[in-house]
Amino acid sequence: MSAISVNGRTYEINAAPDTPLLWVLRDELGLTGTKFGCGVAQCGVCTVHVDGIAVRSCQIPVGTVGQRVITTIEGIGETSAGARIQKAWLDLEVVQCGYCQPGQIMSAAALLTANPDPDDGAIDAAMSGNLCRCGTYVRIRQGIKHAARS
Amino acid sequence: MKRKVVLCLAALAVIVGAAALGVTGWMVFQPGPYAFATGKPVPLSAYQGPAPTGVPVELAGADPAMRGAYVAAMADCQACHTAPGGKPFAGGRAFVLPFGTIYTPNLTPDPETGIGNWTDAQFLNAVHRGVAPDGSHYYPAFPYPSYTMLSDEDVLAIKAHLFSLLPVKQANRPNTFGFPYNQRWLMAIWSALFNPDERFRPVPEQSPEWNRGAYLVEAAGHCGECHTPRNLMQALDQRAKFGGATAEGWTAYNISADKVSGIGDWSAEELAAYLSTGHAHGRGVASGPMGEAVELSLSQLTKADIGAIVTYLKSVPAVKGDLPALAGPAPATPQLAGLDNPVGKRIFEGNCASCHAWTGAGAAREEAQLTGVRAVNDPGGANVALMVLHGSGAPTPHRPHMPGFGNAYSNDEIAAVTNYVTARFGARSSTLTAADIAALREAN
Repeated sequence: MSAISVNGRTYEINAAPDTPLLWVLRDELGLTGTKFGCGVAQCGVCTVHVDGIAVRSCQIPVGTVGQRVITTIEGIGETSAGARIQKAWLDLEVVQCGYCQPGQIMSAAALLTANPDPDDGAIDAAMSGNLCRCGTYVRIRQGIKHAARS
Repeated sequence: MKRKVVLCLAALAVIVGAAALGVTGWMVFQPGPYAFATGKPVPLSAYQGPAPTGVPVELAGADPAMRGAYVAAMADCQACHTAPGGKPFAGGRAFVLPFGTIYTPNLTPDPETGIGNWTDAQFLNAVHRGVAPDGSHYYPAFPYPSYTMLSDEDVLAIKAHLFSLLPVKQANRPNTFGFPYNQRWLMAIWSALFNPDERFRPVPEQSPEWNRGAYLVEAAGHCGECHTPRNLMQALDQRAKFGGATAEGWTAYNISADKVSGIGDWSAEELAAYLSTGHAHGRGVASGPMGEAVELSLSQLTKADIGAIVTYLKSVPAVKGDLPALAGPAPATPQLAGLDNPVGKRIFEGNCASCHAWTGAGAAREEAQLTGVRAVNDPGGANVALMVLHGSGAPTPHRPHMPGFGNAYSNDEIAAVTNYVTARFGARSSTLTAADIAALREAN
């Protein structure tokens, strides 16, 4: 039995320390907003924040998180950058099928927090690990710029 | 006139002969592996301190099977005597050398294809002197000039461990050496020159911990076989002890006390963590042959034995290398335009950044840190390229695994991403080409 902090709340968990964080979030805590994609940190759909840094939760054993603060798509709207990204996403209708979007929003929110006014190069770099099979990349870039201005 | 010519030729012959003798002598008469240490080595029987050989004190009361397994792990026989995906100790692993390919033999107790019929004397003769039961000589790919320092008891403990394994019927593969390297009898001469055939001699002036460490490093662990460069005659060049060399395409780095190229600025804690778990904070992950050494040997050793190895390693004098000083942390907002390597950048973005992070600081997992790691700060780039090709297994449990990308990307692309990583996160860019990557694929 150990404890992790997710979206401002402390949860007691039973999972073994080498269980991927994604499994714990979805199966044990019922936070199913974060999706499973490839399972090998190549698609970005499972992105969450650990102490504000965008990381792939499928590759992080829950035992290594310790006291660090986890934010998921369910809690990102409580942050300034997250709220602005989500509003921009709605304003510009960035989403098509939506499966990758929890990861896209988490990466975009982390970018905006670290770099309030990212140019195209910075956006492409920070978002490059998040794949979108629908090809919403152009609107994602617009959405981030829209949020930066808001 | 004629006499003058003859005299000149004779003088030339003498000079050339003397030079050849000098060069050979320089290679043959060199210091022993721990001659750098102050003190006068004594025979093991005359040593008053706690035994540097055998199992550590904690295991002294353990049953013989466990002690045998421990000594076998100390000597790390399994890494070389197991083919990838093959049965442990059944041999068949290929070593691609400049002279041809050599395959390790089967060490399981199968009477036909393994060593099931070997006597104790035959096994001792093989491990101490490099001589097979039929009288033929082994090539020094088998590190008997190191193992010759093992005590008789320890060699026989290894034999007992091997004989406790299930026999595996797997015929040995002949090597592919061409003339003159296929002349095994030449190895008798090599052995006479380069194998002292002498058991470990402790140095009473040094601490018991140092002596245990010397035994573990020199006799059992045979660290120098990869980390010490070889001379023209393929013997370890003890004058450049632990100065770094190449093993199966991987760079086995300088592990002397040199502060820049070696491990002189590693703390004892960092060394202990790296050896026992395959990772030390900010120092990267043991991969390739070193990953195997950690997984199969070092991670099995007791804390005290790891401490002894660290004590000994720290005493090895510095050998200056030509590696650059480690670069510091990479900038948070990298000047990507300054790195004119669009292919490398694209591959790093798509495949690497999600775990290694944009700054190379590692995303959430400290093992994924690229900055400050020696392989990334090596303009040679071989180890980075090999990591990209083959990935890195987890040397110990709960360690992360890096997938290999060798089947996903072309040689051009792997060269590009290696050059990108070394330029962006290291001291100097590597300049690998597709041909270099092809050669690395061959070597491994």
